[in-house]
Amino acid sequence: MILLSYGTAIVLFVIGLCTLLFRRNLFKIVIALSLMEGGVLLLITSMGYIPGGVPPLLPLLGEQAVNPLPQSFTLTAIVIGASDIALALAYIIKIYHHYGTVDVDKIRGLRG
Amino acid sequence: MNPVFAVLLPLCTAFLIPLGFIFFRRALPLLVFSGGFFSALGAGAVAFLGWGGISTVMGGWAPELGIALKVDSLSACFLLLTSLGFPLALLSSAEEFGWHSWRFYVIFFLSWASTNGILVAGDIFNLFVFFEIFSVAAYLLVSFPASSWQAVEASFKYLIFGTLGALFILLGISYIFMATGQLNMALLQDFFPALPGPTLGVIAGCLLGGLLVKCGSAPAHFWLPDAHSSARAPVSALLSGVLVKAPLYALLRLGTLFFLSPLPRFFPLLLFFGTLSLGVGHLMAMQQEKIKRMLAYSTVAQIGTILLGLGCASSLGATASIYHVFTHMSSKMGLFLVAGVFLEDRHANSLGEMKGFLRHRPFFTIAFALLAASLAGIPPLSGFQSKWLLLLACVEKGYLIPALFLLGGTLISTAYYLKVLGAFCSPAEAPLPHRRPRPLVQGAVLFLVLLSLLLAVLPLLPGGKELLFSLPPEGMLP
Amino acid sequence: MTFTSSRLIHRIPALLLSLGIGFFLWRGLVLPSFPHLGSTAAHYVTHTASETGASNVVAAILFDYRAFDSLGEATVIYTTVCGVALLFAGRRYRSSRRGLSFVVKRGMALMVPFILLYASTIVLMGHLTPGGGFQGGVILATITVLFCIVYGSRFEAAQINPNKKEMAESFAGLFFVGLGLVGLLGGAGFLANLRAGFPGGTPGELLSAGTIPFLNIAVGLKVGASLSTLFYSMIKILEAPSEGPPPEVFSS
Repeated sequence: MILLSYGTAIVLFVIGLCTLLFRRNLFKIVIALSLMEGGVLLLITSMGYIPGGVPPLLPLLGEQAVNPLPQSFTLTAIVIGASDIALALAYIIKIYHHYGTVDVDKIRGLRG
Repeated sequence: MNPVFAVLLPLCTAFLIPLGFIFFRRALPLLVFSGGFFSALGAGAVAFLGWGGISTVMGGWAPELGIALKVDSLSACFLLLTSLGFPLALLSSAEEFGWHSWRFYVIFFLSWASTNGILVAGDIFNLFVFFEIFSVAAYLLVSFPASSWQAVEASFKYLIFGTLGALFILLGISYIFMATGQLNMALLQDFFPALPGPTLGVIAGCLLGGLLVKCGSAPAHFWLPDAHSSARAPVSALLSGVLVKAPLYALLRLGTLFFLSPLPRFFPLLLFFGTLSLGVGHLMAMQQEKIKRMLAYSTVAQIGTILLGLGCASSLGATASIYHVFTHMSSKMGLFLVAGVFLEDRHANSLGEMKGFLRHRPFFTIAFALLAASLAGIPPLSGFQSKWLLLLACVEKGYLIPALFLLGGTLISTAYYLKVLGAFCSPAEAPLPHRRPRPLVQGAVLFLVLLSLLLAVLPLLPGGKELLFSLPPEGMLP
Repeated sequence: MTFTSSRLIHRIPALLLSLGIGFFLWRGLVLPSFPHLGSTAAHYVTHTASETGASNVVAAILFDYRAFDSLGEATVIYTTVCGVALLFAGRRYRSSRRGLSFVVKRGMALMVPFILLYASTIVLMGHLTPGGGFQGGVILATITVLFCIVYGSRFEAAQINPNKKEMAESFAGLFFVGLGLVGLLGGAGFLANLRAGFPGGTPGELLSAGTIPFLNIAVGLKVGASLSTLFYSMIKILEAPSEGPPPEVFSS
């Protein structure tokens, strides 16, 4: 069960990496970063799972709580990832205002 | 002295600046300069008092429960670097940008706080969080002011590369947690030898890849020339002089803590990428016509030089790298500041038009010559001393090809700096406009020249050699 | 971005590299045969009530054991928003007057108090139930985003002055650091909670867990103000674009 979760996370990461390398639209590049981030976060969250575990809220509803530590990392990393993506989108808006296009090949400074 | 003050003082200044702007607009310069002064003082105090080693845990918890902060001679040394570099950049930016754009100073102090945070971090996830603040602040510094579309594009490119690197670092950290359940760097050191082979490989690969992208070493150096050349001169000086050193510090720290015994193949990889950056940087710098782009490619090459020292995996190599970090900072900051002054005078960018500066601004031209000679490696200046130690370290370990690259790099860099100086010293074709007096930048460049000369005589001073050799972290093989 | 050629011969190495990375990651996975909580996590689960007074273990980790990380995280948002406001400052940008239709405006006006209540619950009860400052702050920001969309950003700026949002962000940040310094000056360490003398209360009550509710409120205000400023900056309209070709319709 946990293997499916890890596998999905790695597949998301690889799809994001491929999209980053192959797409020419700036927005799709930023979406690719978001996909990769989603993959890494899914990996982190899946790490904490314990079969038969209950949410880490006291008083515990069962015997074992799942690991609360990856959940806190994920919260922090979501916020950090969202800030990066927001900044990237702001830059795209500014680039669009100057060039009128979001195609990577047509934007001079971004080639190579 | 709690190491957290090195982070808190610039952070509080950054939080206070908007309030200062809203309530006491006239007091903004006072706030910024006093904030800078106290931050430098605070970080310097942490560095001096922490030289022997301080380790605290935030909140008073046990080391495996809370976030640890750790200072030792290596972090203290780098804290001194930031305490010297940031105030100089602050003075130059205050002179160049003025006070109407207060948000720049907020981002400046946040980048200072995050760099100090990286240097004192003892917990690996905390290192990642501060790395992200550092990176976002760096992207924003590059794109200031936003009226230059080149700066915005360079910043976007830097952002894409930087976020990619950050995601790999986060992946590496998550594999570390998956394998050990621990995040404290001192405690993790004991877990690493017992890790299974493929996991260790994944962790090493992700951390190495992510940190190399953030450093700007080849083959992920594509963002660095654009970012460092499109930024304004004081920001370029800060970026090249101080901000690229933080990922290098992280590589040194994580490499020596985690991979020294379990995965010795980590270090020859560092050596390989360092040699590659050295070659690419110097060769590309030869072909540049614009000064700032040439200096930026030179930074790529110098990052390669520092990686060479780290890759030797010996105490001598680490000492040589740290020495080179300081000499590079003093030279490159000065070179960028002078280039900024000249570019503003001429309003031109290419070498063909940058003539006649020897008569127009003699102090800056001579300072440029001295600092360029130091960086290229002319004896007996400081760059030569650090490169000599690096050569010794490479040869001692039997790495002859990197040593040859180092020598070749010295020759090539001498060639292109001579080209630039030749352009500066030749008589001007068009008359130069009246020059604006630049007292703060002049003072900063003078300080950097004196620092460079001090570093050159450091091995000769009593206690200098012992100081240098006490810097690498324990556990490094001699 | 460096491999933007669409020729297959250039794409194949990149594809192989990505698949190689994926395979490498798969092989490096550590799958314990007997999943159990590590010593650190077990300590967190068993001792949260006594050492911090909170019921939500994740909130205790975020705002007590590892509160320094949350300070860093709030600072990341602060930096981003400061930068985006810098990017879109200037006289060439103006805010919009256009809103949506009357029905939407009336519906929105009915909903706002409930959204506000929801956000406050999540922030204030962060130490008891899942939630906390970050999540609640985002919902607070949603209210201002809805104002911008439904009424136009000029209305939103008139309701809540951008200067006030700036002040809220800075004050919240200084409050966070201040609470931490109380612990430091007391000798217990930066960002110490019960050790610094803050009252723990009984776990499960609203007023418990020492500083955690206050840190939640500070972070909620900060994140709400930050994201609100972020959205407001990004939807400014460029007046009379004077550079570059006219916008074209994109089809890729």
